Amino acid sequence: MFDQIEILRMAGHRADHAAQRQVLVAQNVANADTPGYRARDLPSFSETFRAGADTALRQTRPGHMDGAMGPGQFRAVEVGGQAAPNGNTVSLETEMLRSVDIKRGHDRALAVYRASLDVLRSALGRPR
Amino acid sequence: MTDLVNTLTVSASGMQAQADRLRLVSENIANADTPGYRRKMTAFEEVVLGGARTGEVRSGPVQLDPTEQRRIHDPSHPLADASGHYDGSNVDLVVELADAREAQRSYEANLRMFDQARQMTRGLLDLLRR
Repeated sequence: MFDQIEILRMAGHRADHAAQRQVLVAQNVANADTPGYRARDLPSFSETFRAGADTALRQTRPGHMDGAMGPGQFRAVEVGGQAAPNGNTVSLETEMLRSVDIKRGHDRALAVYRASLDVLRSALGRPR
Repeated sequence: MTDLVNTLTVSASGMQAQADRLRLVSENIANADTPGYRRKMTAFEEVVLGGARTGEVRSGPVQLDPTEQRRIHDPSHPLADASGHYDGSNVDLVVELADAREAQRSYEANLRMFDQARQMTRGLLDLLRR
């Protein structure tokens, strides 16, 4: 029901993006000492949200190998960076920066969502 | 939401792996003066389930450091050979301390990720709670 309201949909996707990015950052941090591991990240939300899934290949069944993600799903890319002698490209400092960025993005998305719900509630004539 | 729960699993696996590493370090330090002891070490590896990368980490099999052991001169030692030498351990305390520090740093980083995922989950649930 709420998917029909553009601002809620967008805020939802933004929160989703932050959550999926948080998984990747957590994986990077967990593998900070794994030899040969390459750090991964998601492209920024503004890039992926506007691009949409209309022009890309679409994954219509789970068995498809690499279709485009549906709305609300994002594709991880490897980020470059200085590799340690064991081939690991994770930098804990960068990951910390990313995690702060993610937290702020997520909080912002939830704030927008909450404010929109307040507007809906006011429209229904209920106290906030 | 499932993503955030996934984060908790991944971070927990990272903390577990670092704790394993720290245990090996403490074993090494405890045995720094044991004759014939070889330093234990482990390499981390990514967990792959059914061909898919889970992003979790675990410590691999324990390996023994093949570096030569110190020859210690002490003719009165029960293990001393004809020349008065015996094999000590090949543990280098400085290396072990550096390793322990690194394990601690990585552990704390994992803990931060865990904590942040929890905060994000709480933020989501607060939306429902009003």
